Amino acid sequence: MSISRSSNMRMIPFTPPHHKPSHKRPRAPSWAMRAQKSICKFDQTITSWLHETSKPHTHPLPFNILSSSSLSISKFFQSPLKTRHSYSHSHDAIYRSHESLLCLVVMDALFRLVTHQKQHHPHSFNSTSRTSNSSSSKSSHFTTYPQHYQYNHHHHQDQYHHHHQDQDQDQEECFNFFMDEEDFSSSSSHHHQPPYHHHQPPYHHQSSNTPTPTTSTTTTTPPPFSHYAFSSSDHQQSSDPNINYSYSPARDITMEYSNSFSTNTWATDLLTDAARAVADKNSNKLQQLMWMLNEVSSPYGDTDQKLSSYFLQALFSRMTESGERSYRTLSSASEKMCSFESTRKLVLKFQEVSPWTTFGHVASNGAIMEAFDGEAKLHIIDISNTFCTQWPTLLEAIATRTDETPHLRLTTVIATRSDGGDGVQKVMKEIGTRMEKFARLMGVPFKFNVIHHTGDLSDLNFDHLKIEDDEAIAINLNGTLHSVNTHRRDYLISTFRGLNPKIITIVEEEADLDIGTNGFEFVEGFKECLRWFRVYFSALDENFPKTSNERLMLERAAGRAVMDLVACSPVESVERRETAVKWSARLHGSGFRSVSYSDEVCDDVRALLRRYKEGWLMSSPEMMTGMFLTWKETPVVWASAWKMV
Amino acid sequence: MRAGFEVGQGALELIQPHEQWNYNNTLGAYVTTTTTSSSDNGFSAYNSKPAVNLERPNELSEWVEHVTKTLIEDLPESTHEDSFQTEANMPSYAHVSPRMCETRPRKMARVDWSDEVQFAHDRGNNGLSLITLLFECAVAISVDNLGEAHRMVLELTQMASPYAPSCGERVVAYFAKAMTSRVVNSWLGVCSPLTNHKLIHGAFQVFNNISPFVKFAHFTSNQAILEAFQRRDRVHILDLDIMQGLQWPALFHILATRVEGPPYVRMTGMGTSMELLVETGKQLSNFAKRLGMSFEFHPVVKKFGDVVDLSVLQIRRGDAIAIHWLQHSLYDATGTDWKTMRLLQELNPRIITLVEQDISNGGSFLDRFVSSLHYYSAVFDSLGAFLPNDDNNRHRVEHTLIHREINNMLAVGGPGRSGDDKYRVWRSELRRNRFLQVPMSSNSLAQAQLILNMFPLTHGYSLVQEDGTLRLGWKETALYTASAWTCHISR
Repeated sequence: MSISRSSNMRMIPFTPPHHKPSHKRPRAPSWAMRAQKSICKFDQTITSWLHETSKPHTHPLPFNILSSSSLSISKFFQSPLKTRHSYSHSHDAIYRSHESLLCLVVMDALFRLVTHQKQHHPHSFNSTSRTSNSSSSKSSHFTTYPQHYQYNHHHHQDQYHHHHQDQDQDQEECFNFFMDEEDFSSSSSHHHQPPYHHHQPPYHHQSSNTPTPTTSTTTTTPPPFSHYAFSSSDHQQSSDPNINYSYSPARDITMEYSNSFSTNTWATDLLTDAARAVADKNSNKLQQLMWMLNEVSSPYGDTDQKLSSYFLQALFSRMTESGERSYRTLSSASEKMCSFESTRKLVLKFQEVSPWTTFGHVASNGAIMEAFDGEAKLHIIDISNTFCTQWPTLLEAIATRTDETPHLRLTTVIATRSDGGDGVQKVMKEIGTRMEKFARLMGVPFKFNVIHHTGDLSDLNFDHLKIEDDEAIAINLNGTLHSVNTHRRDYLISTFRGLNPKIITIVEEEADLDIGTNGFEFVEGFKECLRWFRVYFSALDENFPKTSNERLMLERAAGRAVMDLVACSPVESVERRETAVKWSARLHGSGFRSVSYSDEVCDDVRALLRRYKEGWLMSSPEMMTGMFLTWKETPVVWASAWKMV
Repeated sequence: MRAGFEVGQGALELIQPHEQWNYNNTLGAYVTTTTTSSSDNGFSAYNSKPAVNLERPNELSEWVEHVTKTLIEDLPESTHEDSFQTEANMPSYAHVSPRMCETRPRKMARVDWSDEVQFAHDRGNNGLSLITLLFECAVAISVDNLGEAHRMVLELTQMASPYAPSCGERVVAYFAKAMTSRVVNSWLGVCSPLTNHKLIHGAFQVFNNISPFVKFAHFTSNQAILEAFQRRDRVHILDLDIMQGLQWPALFHILATRVEGPPYVRMTGMGTSMELLVETGKQLSNFAKRLGMSFEFHPVVKKFGDVVDLSVLQIRRGDAIAIHWLQHSLYDATGTDWKTMRLLQELNPRIITLVEQDISNGGSFLDRFVSSLHYYSAVFDSLGAFLPNDDNNRHRVEHTLIHREINNMLAVGGPGRSGDDKYRVWRSELRRNRFLQVPMSSNSLAQAQLILNMFPLTHGYSLVQEDGTLRLGWKETALYTASAWTCHISR
């Protein structure tokens, strides 16, 4: 078989137009000019046409799809750069000549900055560059340090006048601990509205009015399926000789769901029914539903398409009994792609656009600082998945404590289910180096240690933590408790008592994902999974640009979680989240009492949330422990602090 | 994703749940043979080579061609016809794979990478391993090793991003997605498409704005139709898949101002949704009215090939008939090809304007895979040449249109997904059925050139007049071919 056989692979001797001698170029006759005019004219017609059809919609943001996207794109690329650039010339001492380095300052400068900033530089700049400027006079001789630092720059800053401003600002700066110059272009874009800051892609606006699909218009009503039972052999494909494919869709099912497609949440309807079909072992119905899901889903489309894509992937693996294997494949592939660079970009971008992670950091750090008040030797056992992004702020707070600067040990425990590649280890090594440098610059006596633990966290040998008698211990559990086997959670929490911690801080996502393996429990668990990931995906959708690679990484991670929950055995699961109520019961049961957050910490959190888009709020319901981060009134993240009774 | 799904029509069959797919068994045997051998023979040697630079346009397509040649030459002819689901056939695949891997590095060495040496190894190797994996996955699908194919698509979907700066990575991302669909379809045994025409029409309009391909098709055809309608005062245009009728206002404009005065224009627009057709008709009527031209529009909700009674097309005796057909792989617009051909003959049109994609929509899965990888790499390159990575229009076209075409190309049964045999190249079929080719005039060439001039930033588009046809391509790859045909001997 040779390639030249297929006609389309033939090379055609094309002459690119620009190589032609100019006199040979066909002259445009007058009719052609008219034609060209009419091209433009018709484009206008189409534009107005689209406008007409989209007018009746009551969507809050009627979108002009032909013009505004290009506008936003040009904004996206130009404005921030210009703003910075015009500002650079007077500060060559600390900025490298390259314009993308404008907002970077060496680490040392930061230290000066956080202590002197307000007093020395009362004059205000636009928010993008205010902080960098203030450090210029002090920092030029520190340029030997390779580590860079980028200030965060939030446009909400102007409206923020609060007595916690100093502290708050310091925290903000530390979030960007990883930042290097390449981040400049991406991070600066948030000064402007992203091109689509709307839940729905604009092209839906023109069609959203149509109540029902036109499925039936082209086809006559099909006779019952049984009439076609024997026709399959007529239409085999030569390339697939063994399989009798059906070219006929399950038309009745398309009709059944035709109304769903006009709603905003069709994925939920289809997927819930698919889960029911799984539970009922109704393979015929499941097959039809999976066919539909396969046709309409896409991991690169809108929220419903994404949900159906990731859940279908999990359902498919479940049905082919390859869940564990699929999960391993996904994890090892993503691990292979994992690098310090990609992790850094991902974490920073997520922090920049949403308080999903920073909320927990601020709350926990506040509680830890208060618990450590007056202690001279501190040891934080950090069992979390946050790549140490939480700690620069805390280091800073420790450095600026009024009494003598205490010693700090930080032991980060990274627990993985299986012994994967060395991607994460490499990342943590790089982070360790940066942390140590940072602590040195902050003047905090610091010791950093990473423990890579393979297997369930409850099997961790606490001897590895090398705890010393005179240390004040804080245990920070950020997004890791849910990776512990559900039957081992109480045990693990109770063993923490043995470490005699001053405080335990817990951050968990607020969902109840203890999905059953079969029957009713499977369906109910599946529905809660769907609810949770819809909230997550739509929060990502509204806060990230549409074509963001960082967002894609987060979605893929969520897709792996879905695979874990839907297709894998609960024993192996690392994604079974629980609600605040359940966690609280476990902690109370192990002899811990909840510590309420001080007003200062609450103020800090509120100040943090003000920097993000509208929709993020903090809430601390009366009867509940801790506090919640809510997205559009749905609680999404829960933070709490605990002490031994 | 809303209203407007159309269900593809074809041979009706009962959906028969497949016999249990014995996933684990298949895999157990395959993992050891395939994966191990590839890493021993091919992969490791591969990674040390200078990398493929996916950033540079055309680099990808060149490389693809080299590799696919090797791959296809090495595949035993019998592979496709064999039955693969039984254990007995496993050795045939195990046999293919190591050979494939052996030959790949050899082929690689022939490509001149000299100026690519300094290119960052990380990225290049990533691109290389992506494509290698994509090919391995295609081979697994072609021999119906769905288990292994599924493992590979999962891996691919974690690695390739459709938002990447590299066009190559985008192509891989969409091919991986299409193969995921294919694996699920094969397992389900259902392969009929479900089409949201509204989404497609919307994206098609964007495609019309951001690249010259659609306009090329429209304006060269318009020119041929205009010439065929010369001195005819009653004309009838039959558009086999009218969508939003984007191309007709331009023709109306020229017809309205021609020397001998505007003709009486009847138009039959075919499509899948009456609602969309009526909307299109309304817009076209308004446009014709503004030009002061007599115009009639007849919406027909039918595929052309399914028309039995010619009267639904509203043809009047004495009208000069022009039939326009812009082919694509988005969905099956016309139904069975031989019926379409028979109708074309019956209608005795004065002109048929045909715009074909230069891609083979028939043949085995691997044939289609290779030719579409080649073809769509060029399309992605052309879009990437002047639109930024995060351009939403670019994403919309890639995701809604091109991805959909790739999906159909790789699906069971090819683009039509109807179970019918499709003609590979319509031009040769028309000739075989005694249609006469009407050479595209120099005016058509001028039209096409004008359209390319509207895209001043890129010099990658190539326009060729050859054998009476006009071809628009990207660099060396032909993408669309426009031709015109007639039944009238007298011409």
